[in-house]
Amino acid sequence: MSNSPQNLSGLDRVIHEPARLTLVALLSSVKSADFLYLLKESGLTKGNLSVHLSKLEEAGYLEVEKTFRGKVPHTEYHLTSEGKSAFDQYRKSLGAILNK
Amino acid sequence: MNVQIESTMKRARAYWFIDGFTEIAMGGMFIILAIAMVISRNTSQTPFLSWLLSVTGKVIILKAISFLVVILALWWLKDRFTYPRTGYVRNRITATQILIIIRNMILFLLLPIIIILTASLFITSTGSVLSAMPVWFPIGLGLIWGIFVVLAGEWMGLPRFRLMAGLTILTGITVGIWQAIMGLPNAPANVEPIILQPWLLEGIDRTLISLDLIFVIFGVIVTFSGIATFLRYRKENPQPYEEEA
Repeated sequence: MSNSPQNLSGLDRVIHEPARLTLVALLSSVKSADFLYLLKESGLTKGNLSVHLSKLEEAGYLEVEKTFRGKVPHTEYHLTSEGKSAFDQYRKSLGAILNK
Repeated sequence: MNVQIESTMKRARAYWFIDGFTEIAMGGMFIILAIAMVISRNTSQTPFLSWLLSVTGKVIILKAISFLVVILALWWLKDRFTYPRTGYVRNRITATQILIIIRNMILFLLLPIIIILTASLFITSTGSVLSAMPVWFPIGLGLIWGIFVVLAGEWMGLPRFRLMAGLTILTGITVGIWQAIMGLPNAPANVEPIILQPWLLEGIDRTLISLDLIFVIFGVIVTFSGIATFLRYRKENPQPYEEEA
């Protein structure tokens, strides 16, 4: 294995995208968060945020939980264990690349 | 890039403190605790041990009730003010875990006093250490509390916690110096057991006064920090978030 650009791009591409990286970093520090929190903290538009959340969900890194807060429907997002380990692995890989 | 990831993670960890409510509630709790301690001071000639047991019981009950009230008030306030503006976050650390951390910290702070008091039963030379308790206790408490606040602030990326920590350490040192200037109780050279002698009771009473002062000043510092944070948060998020048309 060399240090070719192909290997550098061997970083998890689902997480490597800046918007998704922000979302995963935010969710890694909490148990779960709702759409509004992720919208405010990421600075994304609602459409963009939905797309990125769907991609993370498709990859199995994120789970959606629909509940009610009082009578209002409420959607919360949390990282799956795969999502957490993928994020940990991503940080390790990134650290290794930067330290080379 | 790792730095950006880290700062994003810290932002999420600090969300519980984003609106200032937590600091206002914490500061209020400290002030109430200090007032309760002043009211419970042993002004009558009640025997020390029965007074201590009665005060400890009252403080534990008051702490449990005020903690419950504070948690409920925080949930209510955040539910109506913060979550509609900047969203809802379920934290990893629960209120119960916070309670356990606080309990362990109090035990940790009490440990040196218990050790020295126990040692005083057997070692007469501990008398000088005990008589200096009104000086070293507030300084030690200020330092430990300050270190805890600064570490918590670094973990959450909240620079205002550094200022709070600095003021807390300064408060502890100032109270300690003030007690030293007032003069210390004279411990007799060779009296065994020295526990619960009048000079020691005076030392304990003065240490409790120091503790009271630190609680009040720390409570005021934290409350002010909370109010400033709340005003800034309200300015940045004046209205609850609404769906765009």
